[in-house]
Amino acid sequence: MDLQYDTEQTILRDSAEKFLAGRYDYRTFQKTADSAAGWSPEFWSEIAELGWLGLPFAEDDGGFGAGAVEIAILMEAFGKSLVLEPYLPTVVLGGGIVAKLGAPAQRQEILGPVVEGKSRLAFAVQDQAKPTEAKKTANGFTLSGAKKTVLGATMADTLLVSAQIGSGVGVFVVPVATRGVTVRGYRSVDGGRLADIELVDVALPESSLLGGNEQAGAAVEETVQRAIAALSADAVGAMSALVVQTVEYTKTRVQFGQPLAKFQVLQHRMVGMKVKEEEARASCLFATLSLDGSAERRERAVVGAKAKIGRASRAVAQEAIQLHGAIGTTDELSVGGYVKRLLAYEMMFGTTREHLRRYGAIISDPETASHGLLTVAAE
Amino acid sequence: MDLNIAPQDLAFRDEVQKFLVANVSKDIQRAVELTSAFINEPEISIDFHRALHKRGWSVFNWPKEYGGSGWTAVQRYIFDTECARYNAPMYNGAGRVMLAPVLMKFGRQDQKDFYLPRIAAGEDHWAQGYSEPGAGSDLASLKCKAESDGDDYIVNGQKIWTTQAHKSNRIFALVRTSNEGKRQEGITFLLVDLDSPGITIRPIHGNGGDHEFNEVFFDNVRVPKSNRVGEENKGWDCAKYLLEFERGGSLSAGRVRAQFTRLVNKIKTHCPDDPDIIARMAELGTDLDAMEMIDISILSALQSGGNPGPVSSLVKMRWSQVRQQIAELTMDAIGEHALKWVVERPLYETLQLPEEDEDLLTAAPRYLNYRAYTIFGGSTEIQTTILAKSMLGL
Repeated sequence: MDLQYDTEQTILRDSAEKFLAGRYDYRTFQKTADSAAGWSPEFWSEIAELGWLGLPFAEDDGGFGAGAVEIAILMEAFGKSLVLEPYLPTVVLGGGIVAKLGAPAQRQEILGPVVEGKSRLAFAVQDQAKPTEAKKTANGFTLSGAKKTVLGATMADTLLVSAQIGSGVGVFVVPVATRGVTVRGYRSVDGGRLADIELVDVALPESSLLGGNEQAGAAVEETVQRAIAALSADAVGAMSALVVQTVEYTKTRVQFGQPLAKFQVLQHRMVGMKVKEEEARASCLFATLSLDGSAERRERAVVGAKAKIGRASRAVAQEAIQLHGAIGTTDELSVGGYVKRLLAYEMMFGTTREHLRRYGAIISDPETASHGLLTVAAE
Repeated sequence: MDLNIAPQDLAFRDEVQKFLVANVSKDIQRAVELTSAFINEPEISIDFHRALHKRGWSVFNWPKEYGGSGWTAVQRYIFDTECARYNAPMYNGAGRVMLAPVLMKFGRQDQKDFYLPRIAAGEDHWAQGYSEPGAGSDLASLKCKAESDGDDYIVNGQKIWTTQAHKSNRIFALVRTSNEGKRQEGITFLLVDLDSPGITIRPIHGNGGDHEFNEVFFDNVRVPKSNRVGEENKGWDCAKYLLEFERGGSLSAGRVRAQFTRLVNKIKTHCPDDPDIIARMAELGTDLDAMEMIDISILSALQSGGNPGPVSSLVKMRWSQVRQQIAELTMDAIGEHALKWVVERPLYETLQLPEEDEDLLTAAPRYLNYRAYTIFGGSTEIQTTILAKSMLGL
């Protein structure tokens, strides 16, 4: 057991925070959100230079072989700075599923350009009404269906699309420009971009199926859970920024002849926010450190974290607005940006309530409920 | 970073489990289960304490030079978790967890030599003489006074909310030795034998039906000055140091998880399909996981030579709330079973019911008794004020 960052992790955290503090202020966020594309190619090249786009991939695939902790460190920093660029869809979701399932040639072909900052990915995993289907043809597959809420699809050149193949599941590499693919992008509450994707008889070669794997259901599930853990770190970053800003604001705002921060009733409410942030951070760390464990443990930790952090983020956001007063209800200060970032977190990949229900089902088993969080390494 | 238990720690876990099987009888497990008070009585724990002492484990949390076990942070976690899972009794918190660190830091060598081994062996049971009728959250306003008379102090006044004073043979007390200057600068830390002439102990019965608290009256009680810890009028330093240990000195995760597991079992039996109860259980489960991670973070910090810092107030505040909420939900889950009330205590002696029924009788008393968790050891409001300063710089 060890919960201390090692030297390299500390350096990564400090350099990420320093870089983003100088490079990505609230004004940058607003400009990016309001731009047509919703992301900045310049910023993307810069983080490619920093090596962040290759962080979790194996060295053989051109990456740096880092783990979930490093991803969480970066994501927390992104949440603090309201970064809109498609790191999660490209590196954690799209890159994650390619790294997990792809054959060596596929990994090199797809991940190489990702690491260099030349390609962006999106993982179309959630189906609209019914499952997307892949039918085998003489020289490959035909893909048909409709995907929803796809993060980063409008910024991507390559989609990874999950689909049923008979009774199994596979993930297909689908260049956005492929005939029969329609990406309908829209702006999300937090200034990001989502898309619904229509797939009409999309003809794909046999080589488009990642790893030739027709039983990829568990890998898909795991990748989504890794994304939820990463997104949770982003939410923790946003929450911690809200706490800092609220404390700073009440120190400067004078009413009744003294700073608001002098009023004990407000101090206690800010402690309430801080405590929620700390619990959210702890819950996120449990999820992050459980990603490489058994499927049961990973599910328990990630589902629990989404439920816990969702509740905490709602409460912290509301308090931040209230303690800022009228200005907190606008987009003038970054409070508005963080509040909406957290709102998006709550609704993405299953709501807080849905996760709470799932966690309730998991923990209803007394044996599971009795298990502490330290684990035997071999498990 | 990882949450792994190393292979050598598994051997340790087996060792602890074997020890518990050999030294905690079914009767004692039942007595712990049926203790609705927040601390079990020494009668329940003394055999276990002696067995631990014989094994060299009774004061595992102490530094090795004073007889501590030298366990790693993970081993402490394992020991605590296994004790809780097995329903082993809690023992001697006031002496072992609170007073001992004060003696180690502020005590004279002869005091350490005399008192520490007696705490370790379970020969002394200590009570905590802090609160007074007029000094609760505002502890520094305490009035119980000690006047100098040659080699002795003459103590007059009253302490209140003294947990298990009626089961203890000694009390550590904060007394006023000066009214000059700042209130904190006139307080002295004294060790007092509870059989001294002039001491009267009067019970206070909680609304949960248990006798845990007492009033302790001092009427011209003669205490040798050699029983003073630290210097005269410097007792506030001891008092504050002790509170750090009272608040953050031991892990709660194991005990609270055991309490939560009992709740899950109750829900399974009494209301497995109630969506409201299940949702509240789930929320508590996620709170428990988060708090356990914070506990483990503290262990990790201690292991690498740091100290927990301001988070000990957070931990005290949140664990006490989580415990209360589990007790509350347990009562809600069993519904009308919580109506039945047995007056006599201790329940493990008075009850003659089937196992599944007797356990239900603790739910309402536990719910009521556990309200004290957010009041003693510095109330939630006091911890919040401390956190405003220490974590937010306000």
